[in-house]
Amino acid sequence: MSLPCGTRNFSYNTDIAIIRTKTQWVLFILFLLLLFTLPLYLPSSWFDIVNSIGILLVAIIGLNILMGYCGQLSLGHAGFMAVGAFTTAILTNSLHLPYLASFFCSGLSAGLIGLIFGIPSLRVKGFYLAISTIAAQFIIVWILKNWTDVTHGANGLDVLQASIGNFVFDSEAKQYYLIFSIASLSVLFATNLARSRIGRAFIAIRDNDLAAEVMGINVFNYKLLGFFLGCFFAGLAGSLYAQYKGHISYEDFTFQQSILYIGMLIVGGLGSSLGPILGTVLIESLQKGLTYWVAPWLEQTVAFLPTGFSSGLNLMVFGLAFILILIFEPRGLAHLWSLFKGSYRLWPFSY
Amino acid sequence: MKKSQLSVVITLLLVLTFIFTNVLACTSQTPTQNKPLKIGFCIPLTGIAADKGAPIMHGQLDAMKYINDELGGVEGNKIEIAWYDSNYDSQKATAIVKKLMEDGCLFFTVVSSKEMSASKEIANRAGFPGMVCFSAPSCTHPPQHIYAQLPDYGDDWAAFSRYYLKNIWKGQGKPKMALELLNNSTGYGVRDAARAAADELGIEIVASEEHSATTISETDALTRIKAKNPDILFISSTPTPTAIILKNASDLKMIPGLTVACAHASFTKALIDLAGKDVCHDIYGVYPTVSWGDNVPGMAKMLEYGKARHPEYTGNNDYMIGWASSLINAEIIKQALKTSSVDALSKGDAAAWQLVEKNGFQNVKGYDVGGLHGPVDFSDPVDKRGSKSVKIFQIKNGEMVALTTDWVDAPNIKYENLDWFGK
Amino acid sequence: MDTLIQNSITGIAIGMVYALIALGFALIWKSSRVANLALGQLVLISSWFTYGMLIQLKFPFWFGMIMTIAFAVLLGWLIERLALRPLIGQPILSLIAVTLGLAYFLEGLTAFIWPQGQGYLPKAFPQESIKIGPATIQQELLWGAVISLVLFILLSIFFKYHKMGIAMRATADDQLAVQACAVPVTTIFSMSWIFACIVAAIGGILISSIAAINYGLVETGFKSFSVVILGGMESFLGCIVAGPIIGLCETFGGWQFGSSVKELIPFVIIIIVIMFKPFGLFGEERIERI
Repeated sequence: MSLPCGTRNFSYNTDIAIIRTKTQWVLFILFLLLLFTLPLYLPSSWFDIVNSIGILLVAIIGLNILMGYCGQLSLGHAGFMAVGAFTTAILTNSLHLPYLASFFCSGLSAGLIGLIFGIPSLRVKGFYLAISTIAAQFIIVWILKNWTDVTHGANGLDVLQASIGNFVFDSEAKQYYLIFSIASLSVLFATNLARSRIGRAFIAIRDNDLAAEVMGINVFNYKLLGFFLGCFFAGLAGSLYAQYKGHISYEDFTFQQSILYIGMLIVGGLGSSLGPILGTVLIESLQKGLTYWVAPWLEQTVAFLPTGFSSGLNLMVFGLAFILILIFEPRGLAHLWSLFKGSYRLWPFSY
Repeated sequence: MKKSQLSVVITLLLVLTFIFTNVLACTSQTPTQNKPLKIGFCIPLTGIAADKGAPIMHGQLDAMKYINDELGGVEGNKIEIAWYDSNYDSQKATAIVKKLMEDGCLFFTVVSSKEMSASKEIANRAGFPGMVCFSAPSCTHPPQHIYAQLPDYGDDWAAFSRYYLKNIWKGQGKPKMALELLNNSTGYGVRDAARAAADELGIEIVASEEHSATTISETDALTRIKAKNPDILFISSTPTPTAIILKNASDLKMIPGLTVACAHASFTKALIDLAGKDVCHDIYGVYPTVSWGDNVPGMAKMLEYGKARHPEYTGNNDYMIGWASSLINAEIIKQALKTSSVDALSKGDAAAWQLVEKNGFQNVKGYDVGGLHGPVDFSDPVDKRGSKSVKIFQIKNGEMVALTTDWVDAPNIKYENLDWFGK
Repeated sequence: MDTLIQNSITGIAIGMVYALIALGFALIWKSSRVANLALGQLVLISSWFTYGMLIQLKFPFWFGMIMTIAFAVLLGWLIERLALRPLIGQPILSLIAVTLGLAYFLEGLTAFIWPQGQGYLPKAFPQESIKIGPATIQQELLWGAVISLVLFILLSIFFKYHKMGIAMRATADDQLAVQACAVPVTTIFSMSWIFACIVAAIGGILISSIAAINYGLVETGFKSFSVVILGGMESFLGCIVAGPIIGLCETFGGWQFGSSVKELIPFVIIIIVIMFKPFGLFGEERIERI
């Protein structure tokens, strides 16, 4: 088996390719096959976790574009998801638009709102810009809560499941295909974005935006674009979430969620395509696994437990896992993976 | 070891991991034969509603233990419980109800109206029947597969308004009422009921203030209310903000003097502890159960289990509500077993849900729950509330004293006929 | 006119209590540029610990207070030693994420040890309210405001004149330079976390004795977040000024626009302030060079 060792490309195309050798192609196709045949043998109780991972993946990819590539800390991602979710709900319920149309409109509306809250980036940067996104989170949720004519306030909105023409995505497996097609396309888009001119501009801004401005990159425009793209994906994720859960209200999109998304991204690794995937999968499965399997198992096996044992333990283990992963590898799991890949390539000389 | 060997080893490891996880997942599923009768609970054991979720869960589990151990289950069949902590989060509540559907539960019970609002759509779509302890009008209107154990906060308001007009109001014309509402479904239930029925009952709502659960002072809102000169102040909130409102009202010299009434979410012993006996004196409250320790048939068993297993909840009426809800769950299964077979029900699939709803829920008529709260009737196709009656209490010397010996009816307000409802 | 005074006094007092918790956040930001996302949970666990001391173990009041302060010191030291020291020099975002993990951990610990979900503290201050002119105010709120002010003055003096305070400010600017000057950076971080925990504990006790001990303390922590932001992340003066501003806006906003607007106002103010004064009211302007 031959693996890449040094640069020996003969054309531009092969130089910038993501998948370089035949082995990688084989692995990639196997992986795609595995991904798309998973519903056939996945136990039914796992679908909920897998589908929520898929939906979150789209949102975290958006966050990665904004935070990982463009370097703008955004603590309001749940708010932008809410915008997307409610746009879909309103468009499909009141205006009876077909799902795909409202799907894209959700992305657009969330992107536009993100653009508005990105305007302070003209004046501020770093953590102070993050503050604008915190304000975005709370303002958006407040508007959704009090604009009761449209959003029904605390009662929330019911959303029909997605449908293309007459085909309704009414089973978990069909939802799986919808969600993971969109997630795969998002991953493809984000990876290619990072390798494009826009992506390079983003990375330059992240590393040192003064230098980028001096070099001629219009920092303000690119920052706004970053906000737009990041929130576009958040809107798409929100739309998927709305039709998956069937019922949304402003209470589903809290500040704690936004913070959790940041945590997921950081644990996974900022600024790489693999980062969001690893982070989402790990943290979401940890959360669900603790709630659904560990806690009831503990309750059943250990007879007389003090009251708050299992639920307190859930949160404690979750927090501990977070802390330990970050202490072990502060740059995130994607960095760990690239270290492993590097040592594998150079083995047995991998020090 | 050569490179190719290393890659073989790694590939083997990956394949093994894959097989292992699949095996684990398959074995974690329970086999389809001989499934016991299973019901599911979704409880906010942690998070901001933990002070109500914890006692209710323990009431539910202790009552189930009593039913399984001492009574030998329902008609000899033990009931199995699957419960999960929702952390008072809407997303988690929806995911939990989905999991309960997959676990093969016959029906589910949820504690709070927020969790039920989030998950009712999924349950209604699948026809999975559910019961909610603390309801709100949006959960049971329009009526589908969701049943409420107790009257909701809007019903509290209506019942108290009736009682006030009949027994306390001595002036001319319409009394003036001010509302202090928590800014979620607890408060909005009262807001919707007032909007629907105030004119009809003969009450004028002069002020309506909202507050959040984390407020530390309501003096400014109360100053505004005081300026409108109301006769009654109705509070629908949880104990902590209610205690603050009462203390602030006492500071502003609004009480004693003003008639104050609380809906059942805050009218518990915690309120008296937090606000102090002096501030709480003469405050009215609506509560859908009897007082702790009253002489009713079902009280003795509950006191026995409560004292033995959870003495920290002595005097806590939420524990009583949890206990009662398990008794009702057992009654539902008992009624279902009269016409369906154990095998059909234990499958826990969509057919079983239909059976349990038609033969179980809808055959529960006039079940007295040991006298712990109003008699439960789920047979009305339009009114999905189980218990339709409440009791009016007044706090005297730090104790809640019942003012009415009989149950006060809270009739069904048909919200779905109002075009503003649901907004 | 009466309502004006009433609203003002209540607003300022509430704001001072938020400012107290915000001081804890500003402390850690000032010395190590870490955004402490576990602020609310620190307040929560200190309040529950006080509950444990005073109600469950029935210690006398002053002894319980001293034990709580000791607990806060221990907690701050442990957090710094176990969770943050391994991450010195790592990107700031990782540190922020660690505080997030810490928040979950502390919340779980609280649910584990005190599963009741709600508790209350014995009243520390006399319950009658005082009249200031035509306005009435609870004594507890007034005491809270006074204590915040005293703490603020103490901390400002400490940071300006005491050797350790100056070292903390230096560390915030440039960790490596401080290490080159032979100042133990780890001790500085420990001290800043210890102070922050103590301040959080005091704030928690104040709020819990007015309200109660439950998860709502965490959400009050988020409100203090907006105080910090308005005032400038590293300025104590900013906290003390921004706190009452936010309190005032809450009460006046509720008066003018109805109580549902109360929650929105701090955030609208933040956006407006950011457009004109990007570093908060009193924050330091950072001058960057390539």
